[in-house]
Amino acid sequence: MTLTQPSARRRRLARTIVALSAIAATAVALTGCSSAGSGSSGSKTVTFLSWDNAQTMQPVFAEFEKENPGYIVKPSYAPPVPQYIQKLQTLLGSGTAPDVFIITAENKVQIMQGGFAKDLSKEPWIGNLAQAAKATYTKDGKVYGAATASWGGGILVNKDLLAKVGYTSAPTNWDDFLALCKKLKDAGITPFYEGGDGVPVTLAALLGLQNESLGGSMDQQIWSGKTTFATTWTPAVKTWDTLFSQGLEPRTVAGLTGDQVTQQFEQGKVAMIGTGSWALGSIQQAAPNLKLQYLAVPGTDGKTYWAGAVSPGYAINAKAKDSAAAEKFVRFLQSAKGVEIYQKQTGSITTTKDFTPKLDPSLTDMAAAVRAGRFYLPAVSWPDHSDVMGTEATALLQQNIAGKTTPEQVAKGLDAKLQSVK
Amino acid sequence: MANATTAERPTAAPAIEAIPKPRPRLRFSRERFAPYWFVLPIVVVFVVLYLIPMAQSLYYSFTDYNGYVSTPSFIGLKNYFAIWSDSSMVAAFSFTLFYAIATTVLVTVFAIPLALALNRRFFGRGFVRSIFFFPAVPSVAILGLVWTFILSPLGSGVINSIIGHLGVAPIPWLSDETLAQVSVIIVAVWAQTGWHAMLYLAYLQALPSDVFEAAKIDGAGRWQEFRHLTLPLLTPAISVSQLLLLTGGLKVYDLPFTLTKGGPGFATRTLTQTIIENGIAQSDVGRASALSVLFLIAVGLIILAQLAVSRRLEERYS
Repeated sequence: MTLTQPSARRRRLARTIVALSAIAATAVALTGCSSAGSGSSGSKTVTFLSWDNAQTMQPVFAEFEKENPGYIVKPSYAPPVPQYIQKLQTLLGSGTAPDVFIITAENKVQIMQGGFAKDLSKEPWIGNLAQAAKATYTKDGKVYGAATASWGGGILVNKDLLAKVGYTSAPTNWDDFLALCKKLKDAGITPFYEGGDGVPVTLAALLGLQNESLGGSMDQQIWSGKTTFATTWTPAVKTWDTLFSQGLEPRTVAGLTGDQVTQQFEQGKVAMIGTGSWALGSIQQAAPNLKLQYLAVPGTDGKTYWAGAVSPGYAINAKAKDSAAAEKFVRFLQSAKGVEIYQKQTGSITTTKDFTPKLDPSLTDMAAAVRAGRFYLPAVSWPDHSDVMGTEATALLQQNIAGKTTPEQVAKGLDAKLQSVK
Repeated sequence: MANATTAERPTAAPAIEAIPKPRPRLRFSRERFAPYWFVLPIVVVFVVLYLIPMAQSLYYSFTDYNGYVSTPSFIGLKNYFAIWSDSSMVAAFSFTLFYAIATTVLVTVFAIPLALALNRRFFGRGFVRSIFFFPAVPSVAILGLVWTFILSPLGSGVINSIIGHLGVAPIPWLSDETLAQVSVIIVAVWAQTGWHAMLYLAYLQALPSDVFEAAKIDGAGRWQEFRHLTLPLLTPAISVSQLLLLTGGLKVYDLPFTLTKGGPGFATRTLTQTIIENGIAQSDVGRASALSVLFLIAVGLIILAQLAVSRRLEERYS
């Protein structure tokens, strides 16, 4: 029993050691965090939250580090779109955002209004960006994002199936397009599909024509109350709705995703689909023998247009730890070399002035239009609330496709939604 | 005795006295607080992961917080009024309620007879039980994706392919509003019936056999046995099962979202989907928080009502 006292003492000592060790470990960890944070200041280290995955971006980082000895890119990754937005939102909110991050349609309003990104308008290279790219991320004359690419969307055709009905050239007005669909249908070929999980490509292009006729300020006018969705959208939705009212596109597409539509196209079960340039790679991989061509969407008055949007841009954190390194990195990303490597990795339609991408022949017409800025996508063009309005538009259009509502009701529904979120 | 004790004491006394005795007050307080130390971890988890976020949500619901700024502005009840001006909210509320009630009723109706059947002795019983339990194993999101192929409105969909061989035109399962709602509920019932049948089975196996033997001796038929014995004795299990189904149904997000993304139109949109979209995708944390607060109150009231009904039934049949 006399051994009890030293035993208790040993236990107390052990407890003290454990407690001290825990405190020491915490202190070391905190010190580690602290030194990592302060160490990056002026250390030629650029932290970057990438939207593209490591496989895509690694060659870009390697080239940057090769051209700029001593500089290091420390990337982290988050996939688009909701996961990226959420992660960046958390990082910005907690003051731990990386030096360079992605600005996109879904977060541009909050980033530009919140002063989270640095103004790039005075950068010497800003003139290298396409006008549409600059305009997308500009507020009050300040440019907050450097977008180096855009995507286009149109009617992707299976040339072999179209040849069966004597197709020789792209339709130049909407009635010609309907006539082509009818010919295919009469020949027992399913003419046209478009996924119902977003604003369809054909409708976006028809709205683009409407936007062009209003000097490119349709959405600004709607948001400022000068006009309404009822006035501007109804004619385009009515035109688009003829695909369903004439039975040329089945109403079942209301429940189809873009991926399901693409699969049908790859299997040769449908002659034409509305889709974007980003779908080309996977289609060619799945069905290498298909002869493909992207066509512009024809309007009712003989003009054609494309759906599409400026890709996400690179933004510099207003509180970047090493602002000079971040600027150097973004400068490289928009340079001919940086864009060339990125284009090679992604196959995207880059729009910077000092580099012309080599693209698949099926994209020739589209790429020229996209590089000239002749494309439109409502969700990107809307000044704010783009996500809530996009969700509402998708739901209203699905109801229209299903034959439950009219084009007028779609447009009025959007007006009502805008009023509720303003 | 006293002498013996006194005689023994000198040898033992030094060691005993050497042990540092805890002071009475300290020992008393240790014993008194011992239960609290045991519950402390879960209290910490509850406070950190539930109570603080809930309090934050309540605070944000009165502000214009968008997830980016650190000092949001107070806007009073504006978010609460804005919710009711949103037509899609009404649709989401209606479908969520419909889904929760329909799945609760249907799963209960199918799970109890299934449990009774699986409680009997037959060859391959273990295998059959595992077959019925299987849908509860994979993630609901995976089940949703699989059923997307099965219920595809295209002619190439699994069901449409089968009925196509019979000369029936493709059915727009997920493209028609009513059919989409029905499809989501069917898949949910399919996915949950086996799990809840196992819950009932566990209760069935714990029921006293002598009561049933006595009923048989008294000449009770199968229906009478089920109606007057099994069902009343299963009331506690029904309460637990329905509570789980109702809370799960009201909070549902993954299955309708993977099957239909809330469409077509607003047909299968749920309240949770609306909260997530508002809060994360649309960076309207204030409004999403207001919606969460109202949702919490509504779910709380529904659950309290369900518990009250269950308690009365249990009292009646116990």
